[in-house]
Amino acid sequence: MNTNSNTYTVIYSIILVVVVAAVLAFAAMFLKPTQEANVKKDTIGQILTAATVEGEDILATYQEAIQAAILVDIEGNKVGELDIESCEVYGTSDLKRQIAAEQKALPVYIFKNGITVVPCYGAGLWGPIWGYVGFEGDLNTIKAVRFGHKGETPGLGAKIADEPSFAEAFVGKTVGEGEILFEVAKPANRATVNNGVDAISGATITSQALGKTLNQWFGFYQNYFSKNGATCQQECCNECKDECCTECAEEVEPAKTVEE
Amino acid sequence: MANFDFKETFLNPIFKGNPISVLVLGICSSLAVTVQLKGAFVMGLSVIIVTGLSSLVCSLLRNTIPNRIRIIVQLVIVAMMVILVDQVLKAYAYSVSKTLSVYIGLIITNCIVMGRIEAYALGNKPFASLMDGLGNGVGYAMILVIVAFFRELLGSGTLFGFQVIPQAVYDFGYVNNGLMILPPMALILLGCIIWIQRSIQKDLQEK
Repeated sequence: MNTNSNTYTVIYSIILVVVVAAVLAFAAMFLKPTQEANVKKDTIGQILTAATVEGEDILATYQEAIQAAILVDIEGNKVGELDIESCEVYGTSDLKRQIAAEQKALPVYIFKNGITVVPCYGAGLWGPIWGYVGFEGDLNTIKAVRFGHKGETPGLGAKIADEPSFAEAFVGKTVGEGEILFEVAKPANRATVNNGVDAISGATITSQALGKTLNQWFGFYQNYFSKNGATCQQECCNECKDECCTECAEEVEPAKTVEE
Repeated sequence: MANFDFKETFLNPIFKGNPISVLVLGICSSLAVTVQLKGAFVMGLSVIIVTGLSSLVCSLLRNTIPNRIRIIVQLVIVAMMVILVDQVLKAYAYSVSKTLSVYIGLIITNCIVMGRIEAYALGNKPFASLMDGLGNGVGYAMILVIVAFFRELLGSGTLFGFQVIPQAVYDFGYVNNGLMILPPMALILLGCIIWIQRSIQKDLQEK
């Protein structure tokens, strides 16, 4: 057979591509459940880091440490709940959807040790960046953070995920008020020193993107924070003497025991 | 059929004709993934599988591949193997797959794979090609593991993540060499390996 004829070449390439596509599609379908379980485990691991909870078995540790995983809207009202039994969490694609959604359902992970973890998600330099921020009982002071990224430059932008000193810089910082809630920039360029952290040298765009992302997501949660933070507890209890108050009390109490 | 020498085909690329230290192919990935032994080990294993299987498949198809599109056909086959390896790693070795990130995908561009198919598999019988592919993969993996061994030992004081340099030594004033973590040191180590090999194998030296 003449393997150099045009017809042969075209038919050969079509068959080859179809066969390869079939093999890959089959592999992808077959492996998908395992891969998704891994991604979910990884997400929960990141949430646990932000909640300063450690444990061998990630899923069991999460189930043990979590108090409630709720969904709130932009007004800060509870609109739903995530199933703890099956370790339901919002992955990056779920978070991405919330940014544009009119009726937002923003996840809040409340842990028994008094730390409340909220996620963030945004565009970095080369791809998405995301993170989990653990707050103390006042829902204003940051206790721990964990960031992740899809493909930031190793050694520069990737430091948001793998440079421990960058994550440590967030500890004790607070969310500001007004337009600028949080900044990632050098101190001289920040409105207030305590509402931000230093940027990473050589990774200007990733740093700015992270600042923007945090600012946006803290904005989403602003109403939730002010409604449920410890500082407003008195005010909140005066206003509504029923469920809101018990919710407040539940969240504030564990934090106090930790501080003692 | 019998005119191929197993020893020559399989062992030659491991020592005498090593793809990294003699042919100087696949340098980029060997700089990137050798910070830790575990990563180097998995990367080496992945490359062995990819070179072996794609050489085998290309060799099986060698008489049917239209000459004008042979590079594209090779590329498609290699890419399929790489994606399969990547998917399997994502499913069964997620943490390693995260560390290796883009480098698994970049096996496609590893000159060793395409080079061996073009130079060997298209002109030889399947079994010989499989051996040649595996041999080259092992040669690549071996250099990776040697480099990673020194980088992890001297850079982090660990091997496969386990602390091997005792705390007492650190108390005595020893510090990990931070330069070992960075890619330039991998290049220097590679240079040393090539140097050693060339002083043993005199026939490699240029006049």
